Parts: sequence; C-alpha cells; structure tokens
Amino acid sequence: MATQTLSRPQQDRTVDQQIQLLRELYADSPGGKTALENSIPALREQLAGGLRYESAGRVGLRQGKVSELTLIFKFVPGGAKRLRGLLQVLEANFSAEKVTTVHDMRFVFLDNDTKLLFATAYDGDSWDSYLDEFATKIPDELDLLFSELEEFPGFRDPSVKDWIAKYQIPAQSWYVAHPDLTVVEAARQKRVNKAVEEFLDKVG
Amino acid sequence: MATQTLTAPKQNQTVEDKAQHLQKLFADAPQYAKAALENVFGELTSFASKSRARVESAGRTGIRQGKVSELTLIAPFAPAGAARLRALLQLRDGSFDDTDLVGTVHDMRFVFLDNDTKLLFATAYDGEWDPYIDDFATKITDQMDVIFSACEGWPGIRSPKVKDWIVKHQITAEGWYVAHPDLTVSETARVKRIGKAVEEFLDKVG
Repeated sequence: MATQTLSRPQQDRTVDQQIQLLRELYADSPGGKTALENSIPALREQLAGGLRYESAGRVGLRQGKVSELTLIFKFVPGGAKRLRGLLQVLEANFSAEKVTTVHDMRFVFLDNDTKLLFATAYDGDSWDSYLDEFATKIPDELDLLFSELEEFPGFRDPSVKDWIAKYQIPAQSWYVAHPDLTVVEAARQKRVNKAVEEFLDKVG
Repeated sequence: MATQTLTAPKQNQTVEDKAQHLQKLFADAPQYAKAALENVFGELTSFASKSRARVESAGRTGIRQGKVSELTLIAPFAPAGAARLRALLQLRDGSFDDTDLVGTVHDMRFVFLDNDTKLLFATAYDGEWDPYIDDFATKITDQMDVIFSACEGWPGIRSPKVKDWIVKHQITAEGWYVAHPDLTVSETARVKRIGKAVEEFLDKVG
C-alpha cells in the first residue's frame, strides 16, 4: 500500500522491444492475446506522438498541469456511518470550490464500509503545495471529512503529510483529456466564451 | 462490492432535517471530530441550501453532477494479469489517443491494489452510463479487451454480458464533486478554441 517508488517506464527501450515484451506477457492470455495483436498498429501510432506523464512530486502522477491523488484509508468504528451522513448533507456542495485547484473528487466506501477510497484530480506540479493550500484554506472542513479515518492526526498537525503519503497509492497510469487546462483557466475560458456570445448577440 | 443501490440524498428532506440527522450521528464521534463539525456547521448548512448542480444517478450505476459522471471499478486480476497490464501501461506511458477518440473521458486512472491482486479503475466521464459504455465498445473494442482481459472473468467487450460484468464490479461513490459540472470534454475543447480565437483577434486589433 505504502509503496512510494514510481515504476517508471523504461525510456531506453524501443517501441519494438516493448511490443515484443507485451507479446510475451500476453501469450498465455486467451482473450488478451488476440486483442493485443489487433491493437498493435494503433498502439504504435499512439506511441509516436505520445504524451508523457511525470511525477506529481512526493507521490502520484501528473499529466500536463493535472495530477492524480488516490488514497485508501481504514475507517474508525462507526466512521463510515458518520461520513455517509455528512456526504448526504453536503451533496455536491464542497468548500473545495474555495481551493480552486480541484477538478474532481470522489468518496467511495469499500469492503463493507471498512475502508474509504478518496480519489481526486488536481492542479499543480507539486503535491506539497497542493496539500499546503488545503491545510491553510479549509482546515476545519478537512478535519471533518477525514476525522473518521484511522490515525488521522488533524490537518493542523505537521505529520498530516506523512499520514497521507502512507496511504496514498500512486497510479500506474493516468489520463487527462485537457492536460493544458487548470480549474482556474477553465473558469476564465468560460467567461471569455460568454463575453463573445454577448458581443455577437449585440453585433447580430 | 456489488451493491448497486444508490444511497441518494433524500430530496424531500429539508437542509435542517439533514443537518439534525448529521448532528445525531456525530454525537458519539471522537471529540475533535465533533469540534470540527461545530466549526463548519454554519457554513455547511448555508451552502447546502444553495443550489449547485445536484448529484443525480448516472444511469445504471454511479452518480453524476451536472454533465459529469463518476465510474469507479475494482476487479480482481486474472493470473499474471497485473504483469500484463503494467507492461501495457508502461508502453503507453500516458498516451491514450484512442481515449481522445472516444471524446467523453475527462480523466481516468489505473491503480493496482493489494500486492497486484486487484485493479482499481476510476474515471470521470460525460453523460449517462449506457451510452458511455456503448461508445467504448463501438469505438475502441480491441483496446478495451487488451486492458480489461487482465481482470478475472472479463467476458470481452463484444460479449452481451460485458455490462453486467462492469456493474458487478462498479462501486457507486458516496460523494462526488466536479469543479465545472457544466463543461463536457468536447465543450471544453470548443471553449479553448474560442479563447484562442479571441486572443488572436485582440492581437490584431491591438
């Protein structure tokens, strides 16, 4: 769970070597073998112009401006019930809006309400500054959302980052449709778009 | 895992009812949790009564906010499936032009759990569950099979049973937040084009 090493793709292998490796791996997969053969031309093409992902800092992957963070925690006894109640009250009204670096986030309850999966897409090239911003702007909200998890030290405690790093599981792969757009830039583009429409209405 | 019932917020409850229910649940929470609830309680009830895009069902499973839905799936790997999928993902190294082609995926991640015994796949996508899956099945059939053949029991994307397999392993989120629930992937592309055109226009004027 707490593996911090990012298994980096082998940059020095040629595409042919990598495809060969895949063929060997898929040789004993009845369904996967044919599907792999069928998609090799497309794979080759993709690899030619490929986007690369990079490390998001201490843990996690980033593509362009957008990073992933995936955490699985254990609930304290009764914690799942309380968090479910809280989320039902909140619906989609999170103060994450104040932080303006969160593209999306989800809370998923696993294994009969014993574990919480928290997964988010966020802006920034640094895991550290992302967490700092949260801890500075909305510490009470975060304390509430995470209070039901084992070993949670509280967001004002300096050990909170170690706690998060301990439960974060770096993704093996991460895709973003618009890696060039932060949440703030998307808001700006929406405003520009609206202004253009109004302008055209006046002209027309 | 396979719970399909959506614990949807009861729409007819008032914010006050829900807030009261929450306070009851927190009565036996640890002291700091109670304190945290008290600190944010006013703000909570104030923005809970404000209308943002509501969270609704995304169709067969999952939830949606505005135009953007969540899909979270955890499935056991088939024998050697994790090694195959890891090699495939390393080869792709973040390149998913085929997913660009589908045009409804905001983001997606592949995470390996419990010593490579399970795959967590989590995505944010546009619209409803059924057409979303159909789209994948039609547009990038083989690519889907290469990826998900790593999982136990994957029937193949061409199989009529594929949707049942997905439903069986999908876990509906209890909470879901999207910064721009009004923007689909293709609308975002459009908005970016307009932004660029405006800049060029202003450059010419200026």
